[in-house]
Parts: sequence; structure tokens; C-alpha cells
Amino acid sequence: MIRLTIDGKTTEVERGTTLLHAARFLDIKIPTLCYHPLIKPFAACRLCVVEVKRSWGMELVPSCHVACQEGMEVSTGSSHVLAARRLVLELMLARWPNVPILRKYAAELGLEKPRFASPLRDEREDACILCGLCVRACDEVVGASAISFAERGIGRRVATPFNLESESCIACGACALVCPTSYIKFEAEDHRGKPPEFLLDPNTAIYMPTAQAVPKVPSIDRDSCIHFQTGGCQKCVEVCEPGAVNHKMVDEEIEVEVGQVLVAIGYDTFDPTPMAQYAYGRLDNVYTGLEVERMLNSTGPTGGRVLLKNGKPPRAVGIVHCVGSRDENYHRYCSRVCCMYALKFAHVVKERSGAEIYNFYIDMRAFGKGYEEFYSRVLNEGANVIRGKVAEVVQAGWSKQKEGALLLRCEDTLIGRFREIPVDMVILCNAIEPRRDAEQVGRLFGLSRSPDGFFLERHPKLDPVATMTDGIFVAGCAQGPKDIPDVVAQACAAAARMMATISKGEVEIDPVRAEVMEEYCSGCRVCSALCPYSAISYVAERKVSQVNSALCKGCGTCVAACPSGAMTGYGFTDRQINAELEGVLAV
Amino acid sequence: MLYNEPSPLETRVLTRRFGLPNSASLDTYLATEGYQGFLKAAGMKPEEIIEEVKISNLRGRGGAGFPAGMKWSFVPRTSPKPKYIVVNADESEPGTCKDRVLIENDPHQLIEGVLIAGLAVGAHAGYIYVRGEYRYLIEIMDQAIAEAYANGWLGKNIRGTGFDFDLYTHTGAGAYECGEESALLESLEGKRGIPRIRPPFPAVVGAFQCPTVLNNVETFCAAPAILRDGGAAFAALGVPRAGGTKMICLTGHVNKPGVYELRMGFPVKQMIEEVGGGIRNGRKLKAFIPGGSSCPVLTAEECEGLTMDYDAMAARKTMLGSGGVIVMDEDTCMVKAAMRIMRFYAHESCGWCIPCREGTTWLRKILVRFHESGGTRGDIDLVGDIARNMLGRTFCPLGDAAAMPTISIVEKFRSEFEEHLSGRPCPYESASHMVTV
Repeated sequence: MIRLTIDGKTTEVERGTTLLHAARFLDIKIPTLCYHPLIKPFAACRLCVVEVKRSWGMELVPSCHVACQEGMEVSTGSSHVLAARRLVLELMLARWPNVPILRKYAAELGLEKPRFASPLRDEREDACILCGLCVRACDEVVGASAISFAERGIGRRVATPFNLESESCIACGACALVCPTSYIKFEAEDHRGKPPEFLLDPNTAIYMPTAQAVPKVPSIDRDSCIHFQTGGCQKCVEVCEPGAVNHKMVDEEIEVEVGQVLVAIGYDTFDPTPMAQYAYGRLDNVYTGLEVERMLNSTGPTGGRVLLKNGKPPRAVGIVHCVGSRDENYHRYCSRVCCMYALKFAHVVKERSGAEIYNFYIDMRAFGKGYEEFYSRVLNEGANVIRGKVAEVVQAGWSKQKEGALLLRCEDTLIGRFREIPVDMVILCNAIEPRRDAEQVGRLFGLSRSPDGFFLERHPKLDPVATMTDGIFVAGCAQGPKDIPDVVAQACAAAARMMATISKGEVEIDPVRAEVMEEYCSGCRVCSALCPYSAISYVAERKVSQVNSALCKGCGTCVAACPSGAMTGYGFTDRQINAELEGVLAV
Repeated sequence: MLYNEPSPLETRVLTRRFGLPNSASLDTYLATEGYQGFLKAAGMKPEEIIEEVKISNLRGRGGAGFPAGMKWSFVPRTSPKPKYIVVNADESEPGTCKDRVLIENDPHQLIEGVLIAGLAVGAHAGYIYVRGEYRYLIEIMDQAIAEAYANGWLGKNIRGTGFDFDLYTHTGAGAYECGEESALLESLEGKRGIPRIRPPFPAVVGAFQCPTVLNNVETFCAAPAILRDGGAAFAALGVPRAGGTKMICLTGHVNKPGVYELRMGFPVKQMIEEVGGGIRNGRKLKAFIPGGSSCPVLTAEECEGLTMDYDAMAARKTMLGSGGVIVMDEDTCMVKAAMRIMRFYAHESCGWCIPCREGTTWLRKILVRFHESGGTRGDIDLVGDIARNMLGRTFCPLGDAAAMPTISIVEKFRSEFEEHLSGRPCPYESASHMVTV
């Protein structure tokens, strides 16, 4: 430990502590411009100068970089220090008179107006003050070195190489983050042109998955984390006191042996971009159901308030049912849940923003317990419901009142007229559709899919959770669109079915099954490729195929296909059948 | 390759071969006790070499005057890293032109000096960083290095001493800033020539993160004579705390400007009158810059009884610097001199720290306006105030170099600024004297 005196206060600090840090421990404020706790000291702004007593007299040193020494006597507010700081700020203010951070420091030093007027005067509040934080962050922290200082002396400026778009830039945004004047702006836009705060994705590379996450620990998004792109940064490791951040963790594949599998892979939502008439991604304030759900969430980007892109609450909101469902061009089936969540939106949006609500429906499907009552309640609250498909969503005219507003064109089939409804926001209740990878998953477990792409149950009424493959069960939207109570009921049923098998301890199998006569099997594996139940595996050591008798349904596909006649029905070899025939005919 | 007519008052140690036919060739060098200092040093222990340099009272000739022997002793001998010798030939201080003639006329003397430093600190490689504008010197230096390699004075097992040393030349791109040692090292490493944050100092972490001895050309050139004739003999040429001779670049309004090697402590008056042949056209002395444009300016009265050595200059609150003497006669406009000096520093500021980047530009602007008769009384104090607040507050000595002459001119020649106040044309313009900056 080192003892030193700052402004008459004696303190003890660890070796290597800078004067700036020591002063901050003592609550002594020292202004800085080019200092950042996560970036190496630069000592360029000279605003943090302090006076140190040396054997040869008093010396002004930059406190951000000079380390404490035993017995040092430091003054942070002497007349020399203040004069030096004042000059720095005066020179800066002469060039950048409106930058808030400069004005703040100048006011603290009682500096009102600089004595000079600069031809390089830059009146902007967000001017670049050449503090170099961005350049150093890009170099030291990110390791990309995409920007640096160009030219020298008074011509100095921050630039990319040759002022061209830099190939080294990884668009991490670190430069914008450290910029004290917001001169560097980072505008992340996804392919749909939405501002980042309305994305469902996290805004930062290290983030809390949700405010109520269990376990409540942050995750690192490998694709946006600087460390995984350049190998540098790791500032989160530096600031994490318990040392909990670990960049070396990798995804693990765990093999578990199980007897039964419940396939509950859920669903995807329909992307309404191809339905050009709804202008999703083309016009502002057109959202999908999930995006609005995120907006309504109290931990969401707007804190649960319903807001337009310009930050104002909407005056009228259109809610379009059946987007991509009950539609010959996309999905013929009904997504089942949309009517009810559309009514919920009608209720919540009206309650939170007071906006006029218009629901556009084909048929109102309030099928569950208490649903019809909720529908009536929403109607009583004053939501407008219009029976008719929306033909298109367009930008309303450019008159002042309508600026930025949207126009919904539809046919009101109950009154038999075309209508144009002006709204500020459109919510598209997009369809539930099978997951992208449903086909692969289906193939993996030998599951069939119905024409709509959802997994097929063994029997729609008598066995709605089992599949044609023994031991494989389905539940939830993987089997078809359904709402939460239905999903829970189906999942419980599936779990009970599986528990029943487990508690029984054994499974009954049909005697009808295929069998391999190993002496004839050439190991060609034609059978295993054909088996619809994934019951045939290949035994590499003996170079023969093998039938899992618990999975085999005895369909005979493999028997018919086997080129060497090695695959036979158990108890139904040609010899046995011939012998039976002979026996029958012998009578 | 004679540089100028030598003066009989010179003490020719470093310049002893100047004027000889083919003075830059190895043959001439060997015929005039060349490499004797190195051979002697090769038989000595490193500490003995450093001790000899310490005895000689050799002080760094680049400008700061730091004792060379002490600087060499800072290199950690036990460090497992390779050590380097770097020669600062980035001679950019306005008024200075001595390193140029030393390399041009006697490059082997520099090679020998580097070899001696290499022996002293255990370095086996060296770089000569030559100023961008001195491109033609690279050829001379490279030729001398090739000659030395060919004759076994560089390379492996030099002349059977068992000492290996490789020497390279490196050229800058023409920035004053690269004369500052840490900026020079950055530039040598192929990076932008901007100063490094210190500590660590180059003796510990220098070129390529390794311990490095970095000295001026003239400092290294003094080493052969010190080793050959002994440190005491060299010390005896000078004054108690600064040994040897000093290359003086006598410029400005003198009749015989040129580079002269004078013993340390040579009287200024005698230098101007006898070595320089007096001031042109019989005019009187007005101002005197002893060591390049970054030194505080002296008035004629302050030059009385002054001698050319570090301590005497320090007593007058100025510096011997690089020995770039600028003599200004009575017709010189001091406002213009200040303006010209500031124009140089504003142009050469690297832009790293605010006081230097913005300050030099402001001072230039005010001084230009002043000289163009647009100054106000308040500007005089403003110039002094900015300069004083730059002094010692900048990242590297460039800011100090800009501030020191400015402060001294404003303080000592305030009346001239007053003569330039609003509306009045420069009273010296008719004399149309230009300071040779």
C-alpha cells in the first residue's frame, strides 16, 4: 500500500493506482474528457492535470495516467491547475461552443466565453471533440482498428482508412457507446427497417433473456459479442467482480438414453412480408401480433405503453384477423388462437392508449370456456368489429392531420359496402404455422405429417397424443394450432400416457414383425432406408442389419424390398408358409 | 565535401577529418585513427566503457543535455530481451544543421560511436533514423555501412573481437515530431510518429518493446574520441559539468554562417564577432537564440559575458539545446520572428493533446494578425497567457518548444508588440529582414 496526500487528505491506495482513481476514492472530482475506465489512459485532453510536489518544485501531471507514489503531495485545485484547465476548456469552447460536456466543465470553472473566436467553429451540440475514445475503443477493446486519427495538428479528425467504408468495421457500436458527444451514431436496422428497440432480439451482446428469467443470469449472444469476432474486448470479464463471465463455455451435446419421447417442438409464426397488401416492413407502425405482445410487456422496449414509432400514442388502431390463415394462398386452416388474442389486444390497447379500435374478422371464433363472454365484454367496451377481410393497408394522404397515418381498405360484408378506415397503427394477427424444421424432426422419429404440415396423431379422437411410432408422443402446436389451455391438457395427457408405460415396466408388442436372417444379409441397408418406423439399424461389427422388434410394426416393406431375401416376416418365412399350406391341403 | 570555411578558433575533435580528401571513406577514416576507440573499448568491460563516458562529462547533444553515460547505465543489462541502439538523425530543430555535416563528412565516426554504445550496453543491432528530408544522407550512410560490412567493421565477430553488430538505416517521412524520442521509436516500428506515454522510458521499453539507447548523432560521434583519448581528455576540453566540444550551427545575421566545432563554454560574444565574423552590415545584436527555435530568446544585454554551455544557458533561463544559434540584428521584427516560429510549431503539432493542437494554432493566428497590424493591447497578454499555460502541460515537449520562445519574446520585446498595435504597419517591414528560421 502507498500513502499519499491529496488536497490535504491522506489516503492509502494499492500500488499502481492512478492519481485520478485515488482522488475519486476521496470523492475529489477531477474533470476528464479523454478518460474511460475501460480504456487505457491517453493523457491527451490535459483536463485532468493536478499539481504534484517534486524535489525540483511543483509539477503539473495528467492524473489519469500518473501512478501514486509513496509520500506524494497532490493538489487538485491549485491556481496553476485551474489555469491549465481553464485554458484547455477555453480552447475547446472556442471551437465547439455548444457541446454540453464542455459547457458543463466550463461552467464549473466559471468560464463563460472564450477569448478567441475560431474559424473552425462548429456550432453543433454533437460535434466531434477529438477525445480519441472511439479510436482507442476500436483499437484496444474491439481490436478492429477500423477508425483512427487522420491528418495532423489542427487538421486532426477521426476517419476510416482513406475515408472509405471500412472493411475492418464489425459494426459493434463500441465507438458510439464511448462517444461523449454522440457525434458517432449507431443506427442498427434489421432487414425490415425496424429500429432496434422494437426487435424481439436483445439489444446488447450480453443481456438478460427476460426480466423474469430463471435462472436470473445474463447470456452472451455469440453473433454480436465483440470477443467472438475479434478475440479482444472481454470488458465484461474485467467489470464482473465475482468473475462469473466465461467466454470459453461451448455448447455441449448430451446423449441421454430414453425409452419414450414427447415431441413438442411448438410452432413458427407466419411472416406477413409476402402479403404485400398489408405493407408489413414497408410502412411504419405495422406490427405482427408477437411484436405487439412485446410492446405490451412491462419489461419491453416501451415499458408496456402502446406507442407509435414517433413516440406518440396512437389515435386509432386496426387489428387484422386471419393473416395467412384461412387463406387459400397461404394456409387453409384456422389458427384458432388469433381471434381471442386479437380481442385481448383490443381490450388492452384501448385500456392503455384510449385509441379507437377496429377489428377486421372473417368469423369470430370464440370457442372456449368463457371466450364468448370476453368477446361480449370487448364489444361493450366500444371496440368496433367489422366483418370483412382487409384488402390493403396504405399510407394515408399527406394532409397535416393524416401525416404518417395509415388507411385500411376493406369490404364490410355485413353492410355490403367498401370502407376506408384511417388508423395510426395496424396489428396483423399472423397465423401459426409448423416449425421450419418439422420435416427433419418428423423424419428423425418416423412421424407422419398432415397436409397442413403439423404432426399426425395416431387417431384424432381415440388416440390424440400418440403417434404411429410406439413410444413417440406429440403435444401442443406441433400437432396443430391450439391455445394454452388445450396445450396444457394435451401435454398432461401425453405425460400420463408415458408414465403409464414406465410404471408398467414392460411393453406388449405384436408378434407380427420383420426379422433378419443374418446368414443371408449382405449389409446393403436398403431396408433401413425404407423403414417408415426407423426400426432397422445397421450393426457395423457384423456388417448386417438388425430389426428393433419394439419399433417394428410388421408392415413388410423391408421384406418385399430385400434383394437377398434375408428379411422375412417373423414366423412367416417362405418355408413356414409352404409348410402351412401343405398342412392345410393335406387334409 | 567541405561544409564551410573552418575557423581557427575551432577545437576540432568531431570534425577533425572534415576537409580531408574522401573524408567519408573507410580508408581515410582508418588512416586517421579510425576505429581505434572501438578496438580499445572491445578490450574493456561494459561498465568500464560507461565509466569512461561518465568521466568525459558527455551530455546528450540532441537538446536536453542529459548525461550520456548515465543514460547508457539505465539499460538493464540482465534483461533477456535484445537491446537496441537507435541514432536520432531526425535533425529538424529550426536553425540546426550539424548532424547533417557529421554524417556527410564522417559517417564512419558515427558507426564507430554506435559500436561503442553497443559494447557498453550489450546491444547487437542498431538503427540510424534519418530525417525524411535528408534522403541523400541515406545513400552516404548506406555506402559507409556497406563498406564497414565489407571490411569486417560490422557484422559477425567484428575484427576478431567476438562482438556481433548489425546496423541499419531507416528514414522518416519528414515530421518534426519524430525527433522526439518516443515518436521516433513509433515511427521506426512502422507506426504513426506520435509520442508514447511515459514511463516506461526507452532505456527500459524502447524500440520493439526492448531496452534501447537513443542518442543524437553528435553524441555518438563523440564516443570514439572519448574512448580513444580517454574521457578525462575529452572532459578537459569543456567546462566542469559538460565536457568536450559542441557543434554550433551559427545562423542568422552573421557574416560567416556555418557549422563550427567550439569547445564547451566558448564565449558568445567571441563566437559572434570572431567565429561568425560579426553581424552583417555592421548592425547591432538584438536577439540571440542559442539552441534552435525552441529555446527562450535572449536579448543583446543578456548575451554579455555569456558562454556556450548548458549551465551558463540555464542560468539565463534558456538552453544550449541543439546548438542551433540564430543571431538577429537590430532590424529584425521580433513579432515576425515569433510568428515564424509559431507557424512552424502549429504546422508540426501532431494534434494529440489539446493545449498543443489548439494552442499553437491560436498563437499562430494571433501572431499573424498582430504582424499584419491587426493586434490589440489585450492580445499581447493573451499570447503570453496561452503560452504560459501550454508550458509543461502538453503531452510531449513540442508544446514547450512552442511556448518557450513565445513567452520570452513577449516578455522581453513587449515594446515591439506595442509598436504593432492596430492600424500601425510593421516598423521593420522596410528593412525586409527575414529571420532565417
